[in-house]
Amino acid sequence: MRGPVLRARGLVKHHGRGQSLVRAVDEVDLEVHAGQTLAVMGPSGCGKSTLLHLLGGLERPTAGEVWVAGRRIDTLSERALARLRRRSVGFVFQAFHLVEELSAAENVELPVLLAGRSPREARRRASLLLDRVGLADRARHLPSRLSGGQRQRVAIARALANEPLVVLADEPTGNLDTAATLDVLRIFEDLRAAGQTLVIVTHDERVAATADRLVSMRDGMFVDDTRLTAAHPRGLGGLGGMLGLGG
Amino acid sequence: MQDAVLALLAKEPAHGYHLHARLRRALGPLGESMNRGQIYVTLARLERAGLVVGERAEGLPERPERKVYALTPAGRERVAAWLAETGWPKPDLAEFHLKLAAAAAARLADPLELVAAQRRELLRRLREVQQAALAEPAESGAGPLLEGVVLRLRADLRWLDVCERAWSGAGAEGG
Amino acid sequence: MGSVVLVVRLALADVRRHRAQAAMLLLTVTVATATMAMGLSLHGVSDALYERTRAATAGPDVVVLSGESGPDVTAALASLAGHPGVVAHHGPYRIVYADLATRDALSSPVVVHGFAETPGPVNRPLVTSGRWVRPGGAVLERGFAVALGVGVGDRVTIAGRSYPVVGIAVTAATSIYPWGAQIGPYGGPSDYTGLAWMTRSDARELAAARRLPVTTAVDLRLRDPAAAESFRTTVGDDHRVRAFGSTFRSWTFTARQDMVILRNAQPILVIGSWLLGFLAVTGVVTLAAGRVAEQTRRAGLLKAVGAGPGLIAAVLLTEYLAAALAGDALGLMIARLAMPAVAAPTASRIGDAEPTAAAVAAATVLAVAVAVLSTLGPTLRAMRTATVTALAAPAYQPRRRPRLTALSALLPTPLLLGLRLTARRPGRAVLQACSTATTVVAIIVLLTVHAQRERGYGLDGSTALPNLRGLHDRRLMLAITVLLIALAVVNTLVFTWTTAMEARANMAVARTLGATPGQITAGLSAAQLLPSLPGAAVGVPLGVLVYLFFRVGDTVPPRPSWMLGAVLATLLGTAALTALPARLAARRSVARTLSAETA
Repeated sequence: MRGPVLRARGLVKHHGRGQSLVRAVDEVDLEVHAGQTLAVMGPSGCGKSTLLHLLGGLERPTAGEVWVAGRRIDTLSERALARLRRRSVGFVFQAFHLVEELSAAENVELPVLLAGRSPREARRRASLLLDRVGLADRARHLPSRLSGGQRQRVAIARALANEPLVVLADEPTGNLDTAATLDVLRIFEDLRAAGQTLVIVTHDERVAATADRLVSMRDGMFVDDTRLTAAHPRGLGGLGGMLGLGG
Repeated sequence: MQDAVLALLAKEPAHGYHLHARLRRALGPLGESMNRGQIYVTLARLERAGLVVGERAEGLPERPERKVYALTPAGRERVAAWLAETGWPKPDLAEFHLKLAAAAAARLADPLELVAAQRRELLRRLREVQQAALAEPAESGAGPLLEGVVLRLRADLRWLDVCERAWSGAGAEGG
Repeated sequence: MGSVVLVVRLALADVRRHRAQAAMLLLTVTVATATMAMGLSLHGVSDALYERTRAATAGPDVVVLSGESGPDVTAALASLAGHPGVVAHHGPYRIVYADLATRDALSSPVVVHGFAETPGPVNRPLVTSGRWVRPGGAVLERGFAVALGVGVGDRVTIAGRSYPVVGIAVTAATSIYPWGAQIGPYGGPSDYTGLAWMTRSDARELAAARRLPVTTAVDLRLRDPAAAESFRTTVGDDHRVRAFGSTFRSWTFTARQDMVILRNAQPILVIGSWLLGFLAVTGVVTLAAGRVAEQTRRAGLLKAVGAGPGLIAAVLLTEYLAAALAGDALGLMIARLAMPAVAAPTASRIGDAEPTAAAVAAATVLAVAVAVLSTLGPTLRAMRTATVTALAAPAYQPRRRPRLTALSALLPTPLLLGLRLTARRPGRAVLQACSTATTVVAIIVLLTVHAQRERGYGLDGSTALPNLRGLHDRRLMLAITVLLIALAVVNTLVFTWTTAMEARANMAVARTLGATPGQITAGLSAAQLLPSLPGAAVGVPLGVLVYLFFRVGDTVPPRPSWMLGAVLATLLGTAALTALPARLAARRSVARTLSAETA
């Protein structure tokens, strides 16, 4: 598709009033193109989660505009936003937010059912996606019997259920240990290779390092915007150079 | 060390013992083991390389301590190049720390910019190593090494956060 | 002493924070205890009112009536006065059967007692307005007068003659209106009849002029009033009076007859109070269930600082007991105020109508029971949970139901959500069903009560003078039904709101996955409506059964269309009610809900 998948202009989100006014997001402009992976880093309280909510239509901006796939979303009704979330946007949260009394497969089926597809189609998509994240053998398990990393993988599968244009992830590795983080990173790499557009909010450098583009945020504003291409070329000794080997 | 000394001279010419004092102060407890002789050896080397020039204070016998050292144009160029450089041959905390201090004292560059630039470089490296690690088959045996590099880079990135906090809060401190 | 103060302080602080729960408990207990106190007091009050009237009017212990008249009858009745067990008597006097019509063309059968102008030692009717009989004037019994709407100074037509009403009085010798005639003309059965008095000569003249049926009666006071029932056997079957078809009415029999008009009122009120109590408990229990995590945590805190399980239970209990006892006091006050209207549908007796001591005690027990039942669950759980677990306060873990989940997948989104929400809390679904069933039962009974057609108290059964018993029953039933509906409304709101609060994280997740607020609202509404359907279905036959259980004789069933309409109205009402809190809950900010869950 032409044009950016996500676009924000002059995005502002304020909380409170007068003395207690908090500028969660302060005049942010952003464009994310198809197939890009964008990482948003910053200290806690800098507004990155709020930015993600605004991009996905979970919150309305105080001022500014947001476009998803060329369609303006900050003026949509709640119903239209819900339909947007069915088709265009998938969410991954730090706390996983799986439904505790549904199995992994049933959790992944849920968005497909909400989109109005048949139960058979939902089952098909669910087993496909669980296979993709490597949890095909755990499809019937309840979240309480899955480790943190496995739960987050189920959450990612759920976010992909309706083939969204963009996946928005809010601190996806925040509650995970090292091994689980690597699993999630692997999945993100696979998604990137498959051309999925990703926006990841994180304070973990490893996660940020998987992105093509890194934006730093402080006090609601972007303070840095970099392309993370390969480190300056050293040829074969590139990695070795990092160890001080070969001069 | 050499580059740090050069950068310290960028603000104004200084005596050897003056430079020593400033280095000691910048390094804090970690600098106590540094003896004064090292400074003069470094200064002599720099003079031979044509990056500084020493002027004798008038009317005094020829002793190294009495010399006032100043940067040559070549020296200034070297300082500028050193500031812009983001090579990170082996983690050398002292050197980067002095780089920030000197840049701030001489108003040669914004320390926060330096930190951000170094951070970008380290992130690029982290990305490279990480992609290599993920692509590496499980049996290869190089896994731990790559993991070690990742861990070091992460630690360095954390330290850069510390530097950023320190320099954005304190503002430019006098060397 | 210190622990008592601590308990009170903790309980007060909790009440201040959760006013809605305390207010709900207070109001529901008020309604339940008022109803129960009134229901259980009916018999006692009826007796008390009779006693008071008897004492004020020197009521007779036995009234002996004969279906015939004439000098022989009179002599036979008079000879009873000489019986060793009799210490005083009044009469014999004649009773004339006639028709009475008022100026507003209300007509009723009437029995006219011929009394002397100065009352005798026994049966001295108490004049409440106007004066006692004088020649040419009539005195009406108060219950009769109030039913007719006639006062002192109005004129009435008795057997075609016009008489002024010179006074209104009450007596204990006869039953309350409309059973003023203890026997019918010539000793046969009697109809709904009012009571009036005239002078002896006026009564004789009235009977003679129109050739009206006359019976004779004598009022006796016994040495031993308790032996009034057995006086008939004491007199023996060979006494003169037996030859004239005599009837012996003891004062205890008359007192019992007073209760007939309240025959249905008692079950209506007592069962109504149980149902109200049940709805009260279900509502408060659900509110409390929503706070289980918080209360368990607080119990853990108290345990960690050294409080024993007794203290913890005491704190939890005090809070509920305080509200329940306050409700009890309020309910008893209301019962005291409403008692006269409920226990005395006619104005035939005098005296204060007060709830009996036994009823007060029972109502208080009900209030305490409601409080204890409401706290039972949370208290037990709080006391049993180990301190460490309590401080961490894990959330309620619902059971997995794969078949239900698979079934719900086939349904449209609102029903999918609704079914899954219902399955999370099966206990609450049962409570909702019971709540709906109770409402439907009450409505069905109300419709049935209203469908019955009784004879009016007017002439030839005319309903120009309404059947007071039927009227009273219908009014009480309506009041109870209204109260039950009110509690059911509150319950439904509470159920929906609590379910919405408990499920808010899952609903927020559903919204991020693409459920619209409208679908969430419909789902929350469906979660309450789905259990209501079987509840309503069960309520109809149950309601019919309840009515049949208490009614004697023929029952006219209400029209099926009305019953169906009632059920549909209940279900639609439930749906509308659930929509309100559901809509509020569905529109909360998704982002805030999700971040609050991880905080």
